[in-house]
Amino acid sequence: MYSVKSLLMSGILLVSLGLSGCGGITDDLAPSGEDKRPDVEVGSIGTQVGQQSPDWSLFDTLGTSRGLYAELDIPRDGVVLYFNMWCPICDSHASHMRVNVIPNFPEVSFFLVDYVTGSITASRDAQLANGYGDIETLVDAVQEVFDLYGASMGTTVVIGNDRIVRMNEDYKDGVKLTETLQALP
Amino acid sequence: MKLSRTKMALIGVICFSPQSLWAASCCGGGSATSLVLPKFSTSMINIALDIESYNGYWDGNGDYKEDPPGSDLNQYRLNFGYAHRLSSRWQAAIVAPYVWNSNQYAGLTSKTNGLGDMTLGLTYEAFDGIKCVWKVRDWKDLVPAAYFGMALTVPTGISPYDDVVNSFDITGRGFYRLDANMLLDKTIYPWNASLLLSYGKYLERDVNREYGKYVEPYKKELGDRMLGTASFGYTHFLDNMDTTTFTFTYSHLEEDAGSIDGRPDYSSEMEKNSIGAIAAYSTMNRDWVYKLTYIHAIPDSGQGQNFPVTDILTLGVSHVFR
Repeated sequence: MYSVKSLLMSGILLVSLGLSGCGGITDDLAPSGEDKRPDVEVGSIGTQVGQQSPDWSLFDTLGTSRGLYAELDIPRDGVVLYFNMWCPICDSHASHMRVNVIPNFPEVSFFLVDYVTGSITASRDAQLANGYGDIETLVDAVQEVFDLYGASMGTTVVIGNDRIVRMNEDYKDGVKLTETLQALP
Repeated sequence: MKLSRTKMALIGVICFSPQSLWAASCCGGGSATSLVLPKFSTSMINIALDIESYNGYWDGNGDYKEDPPGSDLNQYRLNFGYAHRLSSRWQAAIVAPYVWNSNQYAGLTSKTNGLGDMTLGLTYEAFDGIKCVWKVRDWKDLVPAAYFGMALTVPTGISPYDDVVNSFDITGRGFYRLDANMLLDKTIYPWNASLLLSYGKYLERDVNREYGKYVEPYKKELGDRMLGTASFGYTHFLDNMDTTTFTFTYSHLEEDAGSIDGRPDYSSEMEKNSIGAIAAYSTMNRDWVYKLTYIHAIPDSGQGQNFPVTDILTLGVSHVFR
């Protein structure tokens, strides 16, 4: 029986040793507060903060084609994209944004970007089922814009009317988003 | 009337059966709260396979919402546990889960795996003698076995703050957490009741990366965590003195709002109620215990908040070294 015990102890030891060789996976053990954002050339084309966003277009859930540059040229102060997958965290973020941010910026276009459902019909169904019929939703069926911005669940992107990316990170508590929108030219 | 030797033996072996591995998963990572070693045993190993299937979620108002059509979200966790007696009243334990994520979410498919968050536990047993009785003859017979413990969750899993591509890749939460646990257990044969109360505090951490993308650094802390589980069970003795035990449980889990740079962050606040059933088979001298557990979260509004609705099926085996 003690051979079983020895085997398990060896397994735990191997796991522990394996951890030391997992590079970035173990970054949580000693988190860093160092700012490691890469330097960007201001005005260059790209999706990092300070870069000029490339244009793109997606259909919304009503079947209308919506383009970034066309949206900014309406004119609008800016465009906010919230990458949404109809999950609890997304709902928490989106409902917070609906109550605490959107009403304060009537000259900004806010979009939920559905990157998971894969079709206009399914996305519209999810939009209504989750109670977001009042927020325009774009359908990123093949994750084109999702990949363009290096997004994930909850990623929030702000593009000013000068087409410069002002924010590209997780929604969190909405404070960073509000500060970013207040600072739009 | 004195108890017969047989009854005494049964009391001894059943009282010293391993306690449950209290487990909970949350948005990508599974971690155990504690692993409790039976009295008068030197060590124990536990291997358990969790099969957790997702079935919609509760939104921030507590309303139940279904996942998009075509979704099939599952997480499998293989938990390796080892508990070791340090002295007559003190014991320590370690639990290491390995996690497989298998997700079909609307138009997305993802299969990933990796180590989950590990747990280190230290438990004090506030009793020396047998606390299981066949009959209540004195008020002392009503005194439960009491365990008081601390558990440290170590963020060895893959979290949103690691170098990962998307939210389907994560196997852990990325935060250290310290839990204070209290387990009260009383058996009056053939019935058993227990109460587990746990209070956990996450440690604040620096964040400079989200899903593989470096961001402006900030400090984040998850909210305090509370878990309460009440269970009630019945033990049936087989002719060969092996036992089968059937237990029903009710659990309430919640986490307060967290904070970001000291400001409240309500997005991580959550709540979950669940019911469960456990069937356990133990050999006569309780050195092997096989356990089948089913934990069900009720997919109705008002049974949770801001959290996925999941069912967890667990197949486990424990071996105790006397």
